[in-house]
Amino acid sequence: MRYCKELFPGVFLVISFLLFPGQVQANGDDYIAIRKEGSGKIALVLSRPAATGGKESGWAERLNAEARSGLDFTGLFTMIPPPLNVAGPRGAGSQAINFGALNSVGAEFYAGGAVSKKSGDIVLSMEVYDTIGGRPILRKTYTGKESDLRSIAHAFCADLVELLTGRPSVFGSKLVFVSNRSGFKEIYKCDFDGQGMRQMTNTRSLALTPVLSPDGKHLAYTDYASGRPRLSIIDLAGGKRSSIARSGNSIDPGWRSNTEVATTLSFQGDQEIYLVRPDGSLARRVTNSRGIDLSPSFSPDGNKMAFVSSRTATPQIFILDLQTGKTRRLTYNGSYNTQPSWSPQGDKIAYSTMAKNGEINIFTIKLDGSSLRQLTSGSRQNESPSWSPGGDMLVFTSSRQGQKKLFVMNAAGGGQKRLLQMEGEQMQPSWSLIGK
Amino acid sequence: MKHSMKGLLALLLMITAGCSSKSAVAPTDTADTSVSPEATPSAVVSTPSGYGFDEFQTGPLGDVFYEFDSSELSADAAGQLKQNAAWMGANATAATLVQGHCDERGTSEYNIALGERRADSAKEYMVRLGASAASIETVSYGEERPFAQGHDEAAWSKNRRAHFVLK
Repeated sequence: MRYCKELFPGVFLVISFLLFPGQVQANGDDYIAIRKEGSGKIALVLSRPAATGGKESGWAERLNAEARSGLDFTGLFTMIPPPLNVAGPRGAGSQAINFGALNSVGAEFYAGGAVSKKSGDIVLSMEVYDTIGGRPILRKTYTGKESDLRSIAHAFCADLVELLTGRPSVFGSKLVFVSNRSGFKEIYKCDFDGQGMRQMTNTRSLALTPVLSPDGKHLAYTDYASGRPRLSIIDLAGGKRSSIARSGNSIDPGWRSNTEVATTLSFQGDQEIYLVRPDGSLARRVTNSRGIDLSPSFSPDGNKMAFVSSRTATPQIFILDLQTGKTRRLTYNGSYNTQPSWSPQGDKIAYSTMAKNGEINIFTIKLDGSSLRQLTSGSRQNESPSWSPGGDMLVFTSSRQGQKKLFVMNAAGGGQKRLLQMEGEQMQPSWSLIGK
Repeated sequence: MKHSMKGLLALLLMITAGCSSKSAVAPTDTADTSVSPEATPSAVVSTPSGYGFDEFQTGPLGDVFYEFDSSELSADAAGQLKQNAAWMGANATAATLVQGHCDERGTSEYNIALGERRADSAKEYMVRLGASAASIETVSYGEERPFAQGHDEAAWSKNRRAHFVLK
């Protein structure tokens, strides 16, 4: 909820409170506790918001459809069709809810509400109930213009998911990625679900490895417009572009914080990872080892960095503790492990492994090297994993249908699905909490 | 009669060949068919051949090739770089760009790093042999600009290279 303002511009929360916070919190905690990764989905009944009047009814239909497809996208819910007798025609708030009917269809939570019109704007009042105790756990009103209808529905979805999981939701988050659609590899951006796609660079050369800063204000990427790969950082508010003024090549940036991005530079001869400020100035060097050091990805607190190194001959994932300066090797399975992505919860790292037969698959591993888990298999090249803001999902590239395309899956490898209908190839996706 | 028929056929073939080659040459401005003014037939006679030269590299500097996930120089590669260094020494005003390339296998970020090491290994070897470091620039294209388009070792072996371009 604290991201609401940045994430959903144009949506105003008129009333915003949780009922019985003590009980609700307890419910939420219990709920999360019994739903460890890979266990069942949340059984939800979402009723179409009640509405009177043609305009309002149309809005209710579209809000319901947006919320439904959004919640379905998360893979967190089993959406149970509303029982006919669940609530009165004027919405949940105006009449007693039939919890007996909800329990009999196996619903754990019920969400319903009403849509009205105020000064031409949409007013969506939503309520969420725990069906077992029959208690309301969320009651909130969302107001916005008709053009922001999708954002209004998603603002409710964000509140619902964050309440039930205790983690940031995908709603309002953005993806940046590379596509060769124009004949050149350029950077593009879209919403978490592939909607609202738009081109961000026009280098007519090669633009690779895009990553947004945590606050969404800067885009860092590798840009060949000068004839060689250089780190470029764009201030998205003003459009100002900074490049690193060093000789040699620059490869694959990763943000440590809003004020520091790490990237591989070779101006001192060997390839090493350096921290760079958004204006392109060097902060400091963080690796010191002969061979390739590449692809930095930071722990949520910024104190540790996962990266690829060829210091032991084949590429493997290592972890550098920036406070102690100590480096340790994380991966021992396979002889080609690259593209680390540190989960937002901080407990594991996703990466890709190339097998001897050329197949590439995505794995996750705990920081101590335990719980190695293969998420993709038998489908050509699956690479470039990047976590959703809550760590529930991963976006990645797959060539399973021939050309490289973007896919998403849950953190256990389930629910793999194509993300975006777009010409050409798409690759190197990076998922960001915020990005305008 | 038979002979004259053959002669006529040959003549026809020559004419059609002449026509078709003319029509192929006529729209010259496309990148595929244009020929630089210096590359007259007499100059082409000395096109180098052997290890470092193929349809993607016709000289004067030859390319060098690498094993998968390696920037080590083979004996053939070292031999080619000796020739390249000698040519650079004999052409003191020449400058070259060495492009590091990789095959499509593996991941693209790593391949950019690997391509840079390939270009650097070629440059360093030539500089050790006396070539001027200032006259040799390097860049990596990783797997982004493959020469051969196939998906087998025949194509991959052509794409794992340090490619020399005269500046």
